Amino acid sequence: MLKATNAREIAGSLRSLKVVAAREFLDNLLNLRFITGLVLCLVVTVACIVILAHNYRSELADYSRRVNMQDDFLSHYATGDALVVTNRQQKPPERFRPLIVGIPPDETLKSFDDNPLPILFPPLDFLFIVTIIMSVLALLFSYDAVTGERQRGTLRLVISNSISRTTMLLGKFIGGTASLLIPFILALVVGVLYINLNPNIQWTASAWAELGLLAVASITFVTLFYLLGLMVSTFSRYSAVSILNCLFVWVLLILAIPNLAPYISAQVYHIPSINEMERRFEEMERDSLKLAGQRNAEVTKDFQRRYGKLFAELEAMGDAGSGRQKAAQQRAATDPELRAMLEAFRDAQRQATKPIFDARTEAEKRLRQDLETQAARQTRLAKVLACLSPLADFTYVARDLTGTGLRALEHFERISGRYQREVRTYAAMKMQEERQKDPTLGRDSLIDLSNRPRFAFAEEALKDKLRQVLPCWGVLVAYNIVFFVAAFAGFMRYDVR
Amino acid sequence: MTCDKKAQKTMSPRSAGNAIANSLSRYRLSIARGLGTLDLIVAKEIRHNLFSYKFSIITVLTTILILASILMMYRDYGLARENYETLERLSSTPGGGAAVIPPTPLSIFVKGLDDNLCRSYEGGVNIEVSRKQQSVNKVFRLFTTPDLLYVIKVVLSLCAMLFAFDMVCGEKEAGTLRQSLSSSLGRPFLILGKWIGGFTSFIVPLFLAVLLGTAFVTLQPRVAMSPQDWARLGLFLLSSVIYLAVFFSLGLLISCLTHQASSALVVSLSVWTLLVFLIPNLGNILARELVEIPTVQQLEVAHTYNVERMMFERQRVDRSEFPKLLARATAESNQLAEDYRNRFNKLLAVSQNITRISPAAAFTFLATDIMGTGVAEERRLKSAVLQYIHTIGEWSGPKDSRPAFRYERSACRETLAQGGLGNLLILLLCGILLGTGAYVAFLRYDVR
Repeated sequence: MLKATNAREIAGSLRSLKVVAAREFLDNLLNLRFITGLVLCLVVTVACIVILAHNYRSELADYSRRVNMQDDFLSHYATGDALVVTNRQQKPPERFRPLIVGIPPDETLKSFDDNPLPILFPPLDFLFIVTIIMSVLALLFSYDAVTGERQRGTLRLVISNSISRTTMLLGKFIGGTASLLIPFILALVVGVLYINLNPNIQWTASAWAELGLLAVASITFVTLFYLLGLMVSTFSRYSAVSILNCLFVWVLLILAIPNLAPYISAQVYHIPSINEMERRFEEMERDSLKLAGQRNAEVTKDFQRRYGKLFAELEAMGDAGSGRQKAAQQRAATDPELRAMLEAFRDAQRQATKPIFDARTEAEKRLRQDLETQAARQTRLAKVLACLSPLADFTYVARDLTGTGLRALEHFERISGRYQREVRTYAAMKMQEERQKDPTLGRDSLIDLSNRPRFAFAEEALKDKLRQVLPCWGVLVAYNIVFFVAAFAGFMRYDVR
Repeated sequence: MTCDKKAQKTMSPRSAGNAIANSLSRYRLSIARGLGTLDLIVAKEIRHNLFSYKFSIITVLTTILILASILMMYRDYGLARENYETLERLSSTPGGGAAVIPPTPLSIFVKGLDDNLCRSYEGGVNIEVSRKQQSVNKVFRLFTTPDLLYVIKVVLSLCAMLFAFDMVCGEKEAGTLRQSLSSSLGRPFLILGKWIGGFTSFIVPLFLAVLLGTAFVTLQPRVAMSPQDWARLGLFLLSSVIYLAVFFSLGLLISCLTHQASSALVVSLSVWTLLVFLIPNLGNILARELVEIPTVQQLEVAHTYNVERMMFERQRVDRSEFPKLLARATAESNQLAEDYRNRFNKLLAVSQNITRISPAAAFTFLATDIMGTGVAEERRLKSAVLQYIHTIGEWSGPKDSRPAFRYERSACRETLAQGGLGNLLILLLCGILLGTGAYVAFLRYDVR
């Protein structure tokens, strides 16, 4: 009997929940904000995707042109050097470019002729639409969920019935987010349909899976802001106060924290300034050259003592440098004694100075590694601080899932490095092969490179990307839970009169 | 009888003078009365706003953001100065042949393209560009720079609209609007008083925060601002006030066109999103599609292979052919660069024309141009660099006596003449139109 009573109670609560949610849903649907949200989402998303898809087509054509230029060059100037030195790996445009514009690679920052407009006006893409437009829309839908009803007088009427506060709050959440997600999902479906029908954009199964995950992450982000608005509403008495508080928190979370995080981390973890680093490198070079000079002088004195007149003849050819070297080579070709002494002298110099230069290289490498470790620490702190903001979390999740972020650039660099090593090995092997046929072959002689390895860019595996984004996604889910719990606590204590 | 009538019809000069004096004094009296009423309304608005919750929260938010922004950008300026000193030293002797300019202290307020401007340029077949980054902190590249321009353009414009969106419809809902107008208070005075009172109470705390931040910056020994820099800063702050007045008027117009504060809020936020984000950013990517321009990567590849081709051919020809090869490679490189620059100028013109309808875009172009960190300054610097490289290339004397690169950022007058005035006029025109729109809308507003 107890079980039957419980079951009846649960069924009753579910019915009430359904009624409250349906009412909230219909109430929002007939509101001006829904129409505004729908129009804004549809128009902006479709316009953005159409323009970016067109841009993706031009980028793809540009990429093909660059690869053809490289192939063309190598077909006319096929030398081992050309293959290794000039064959720079070209990064194809990201397959998610119609939705999210990626970060430009480092080389574009070192070009004299460039396009600086994106610095002043960052491009509008799906990421932007979700983080700015949808978050504001979510706040608009929820800021007066509780305060507005209280001011209209309907809240006390509803609560005076047998509907519990928990059911009320849950119903508002379900109904509100359902009405909020309609414009978003509709706009996304229309955009994705356009992408699908576009012959230039061919997405694989993994790309569709990534898109699905992106949509789920976006929904997590949007519900976060709905819950934020709901929470603020349960702690305010008036809608005017509620919206101001919501927008205050929004500005801090979306605009302030992500932008200030890198600067705060730079303040906490100081890394040596570029001046200091350059000064240290110069000092190391100066010291090593001074020490090498001293060792060279010792070696010279030793040879002067051992070879006497013969060494004096060498010194008479001129100061150490290319002038003496040439004259010495000419003399050494005819004088075996001089040649032997010259070789011994060079060996002795090399042996004396090699440890010094090796130590210097080692010290420089250690210094650079230290700098990299410190910079990595600073970057990690900046990322952790930035992740206090849902915008930063969602940016990392979206960019890393779709291969349009910093991780994708690092992945490209890794693959490029691997390919470059492959090419070097191939070039060395080819030169060896060709030299066996023709011993007079030089580094700038033409060789047949038609079977050279080609650079093929492959995206990172989805499961690796997912593993990387889970912590940030977890923060978004945690925020959802925290805001819901806070809204619940606020509503339980809310004076509905 | 006729004489009496004639006497009645013609007034004596004295009485005519008295009539004119009377009407003038009545006119002056009505003006004085009107101004007195305006004065009362303005005072009432200011008092009402000062004790309102929105004033406190907006003041706290803007003060925190402005001060934090100036502090962070000041540190960024310190790093930029260190980079400059390193680059200058690395370009070795005074006749070193590399062109590098110091960062402007105004980049603390409006960063713009200052990072790009402060790179080092060295001549060759292709111009070598180097930049030194103090940190490899890549997180900087994911989010926008939080300079004062960003705070004013995005946050303060939102705050201005939030201040004004319920000034009329909110009072209507509260019932006080019909009470005010049921007296002899004229609608023109009421709306004018609301505008002046509201805008004054909004802008004064902002100014205090900016003054505090500026005072902090100028007391730092590393920051040396010339009188020209002060004039630029003053002009930037003036244009910021005009920009914020545009959004305030827009908020007031929306308030006069709606009858509920909640509707006004929805419309205000939508319009703000459209003007501050959508039009400028979408407009730029649209312009990129309308103008055919190669990507920077393609240009770099073309330049690289031009040089490589020359190096390859050099190994196969006589020494006497070297100058001809070099000249051909340089000419080809210059041709590529000039073609790109022409296309870029077209892209810039199209982009400006499309995005200028948004006050935010006009303000961005104006502010960056005034502070010397805009696209116009970048183009001017690049022309100066090209000229310098050409001079160095043609230099026949000893290397040590080569002239060093000298460059002065463009003066305010030059900036305004080149297109800055156009952007300023757009902002003024927007402000006047929206203000007039709010005035007219209020005259026809149903206050019941």
